[in-house]
Amino acid sequence: MTAYLANLATLAAIFGILAATLNVAVGYAGIFSVAHAVFFGLGAYAGAQLALLLVPDALLAMLVAALVAGGLSLCLALPALRVRGEYFVAASLGLQMMATTLFTEAKGLTGGMGGLVGIPRPMVLGFEVPTLALALAALVLILLATWLMARGSFGRTLRAIRDAESAAEALGKNINAAKALAVAFACAGAGVAGALFALHMSFVNVESFTLDQSVLVMAMVIVGGTGTLWGPLLGAVLLLSLPAGLSFLPFIPPTEIGAVQQIIYGAAMTLLMIFRPAGLLGDMRTGRKA
Amino acid sequence: MLFLQLLLGGLQTGALYALTACGFALIFGATKVFHFAHGASFTLAGYLFLLMWNNGYPAWLGVLAAILVATGFGVAMERFVYRPIQRHEGGFFTVFVAAFGVSLVVQNLVGMWAGRGFVVADSTLSRATEVLPEVFLAPVFWVSLAVAAVLFLALGLFLTRHPAGVALRALAQNSDLIRAYGLSSHRLSLLAFALGSALAAPAAVLTAITTGMNEAVGHHVMLISMAATIVGGVGSLKGAALAGLSLGVAESVVLNFADPQWAEAASFVVLFGFILFRPSGLFGHAVAR
Repeated sequence: MTAYLANLATLAAIFGILAATLNVAVGYAGIFSVAHAVFFGLGAYAGAQLALLLVPDALLAMLVAALVAGGLSLCLALPALRVRGEYFVAASLGLQMMATTLFTEAKGLTGGMGGLVGIPRPMVLGFEVPTLALALAALVLILLATWLMARGSFGRTLRAIRDAESAAEALGKNINAAKALAVAFACAGAGVAGALFALHMSFVNVESFTLDQSVLVMAMVIVGGTGTLWGPLLGAVLLLSLPAGLSFLPFIPPTEIGAVQQIIYGAAMTLLMIFRPAGLLGDMRTGRKA
Repeated sequence: MLFLQLLLGGLQTGALYALTACGFALIFGATKVFHFAHGASFTLAGYLFLLMWNNGYPAWLGVLAAILVATGFGVAMERFVYRPIQRHEGGFFTVFVAAFGVSLVVQNLVGMWAGRGFVVADSTLSRATEVLPEVFLAPVFWVSLAVAAVLFLALGLFLTRHPAGVALRALAQNSDLIRAYGLSSHRLSLLAFALGSALAAPAAVLTAITTGMNEAVGHHVMLISMAATIVGGVGSLKGAALAGLSLGVAESVVLNFADPQWAEAASFVVLFGFILFRPSGLFGHAVAR
């Protein structure tokens, strides 16, 4: 039972990181990416390959994952600088679909459908540590960074861009740099979450990095509340405990749990958008414009 | 000969893509709603047709039911999801998320109710015969092309000759002016949703007869329609139809050179390239960045 709960807590922390970083792009910068799982996947593959080929050092794995995902965030930043609104959503969907194919086909790097197996346990400075501690530490650091950023001038610049891009530009804000930086931060964070995920599961394959996963993370952010500090975390915990909770209900056959879960969060997304677009923890006044 | 076979198959798929894409473009152009649940109309229509076909109802009744369910779904989405969101000034992302939620619900309900995996309506229309050496064609090929051509002709006539069609095009250009002329933009939006969703139904029925449906097909159809609308140029139905046709052909012809798993990715490379370098698409007006 403790092992089960520890596993659930680790996953909650990892998805908390994913949701919190996606929230930086969606909630603060107004960059509506549906490709977050791509960078989660890049980080996972980078961290896993490092642990498999060189050293199973968790800190190094997270650093490399952040660098790889952050560097390739340019793929997302470019369309974000060119187009807005529906076009950007379309571009990120396109990126997600291309990446899924690449992850499946680049068997040398990702192991394809079979995935990468036997990823060693995480070590820090030569000692084996539980991933739960690492994930919680990373989550706290990322939340702290988000909080500091939201309070500081950079957070204000991002919110200004989200609410009125031309006005922000007229005030002399460097919009391209701010957007690219926000995307890079969000993607690097997703990369860290990916490395933790790979070390925790000791197995990764493409199925964890598909459009469904991106949508799940997006749903976490939206259900919890975009642009809030704690909202995405609440959303991650709620949506992750959903399948666990459903499996205790006797009248749902185990094979249908996945479908029932998707129906519940699909309906939750729609109803929230109609009646409470700012999410559970969101401020009603700001959410309307998001 | 393989190439010709693939090309013809691509034309058939492309004609069906063109129909759904055109419906999506009609809705997006007129109402500025990114109707992400358009694929759900397609799924519902296809599965209802399959249900009626397998229970021995005549085909025309199945087609009629498919058209009705697609139209009804589109109208209900506009009336009960998009309109309330727009009433409190929800942005495009609010609309997108709500529509995505609905399509998830529809996909999983259909999966639970009808089972997962491919189902095909067995029909004599899809029995292929050899027309040229090593080239096989089923009658459904001609049916698909004819249906697409007739519907495009009818839609073109409606949009240029009928007062309601002209009003729809006016709505696409300037929704404020529509109100100044005393027309109801709400009723016209409903009309756009009804027409656009109805266009998905014949494509769904023909897909159910040929390649078959699975519960996730709406997803694929939706992504293709979206890609075609953007590549064709938002606001241009001709562009969307042409882009849908070319995406279908490209998806099929690419099999001549590469493994099948690259087919879908190829469409998205094209989409991604267009968004980066020519966001206004082939026939569109320049869009504000």
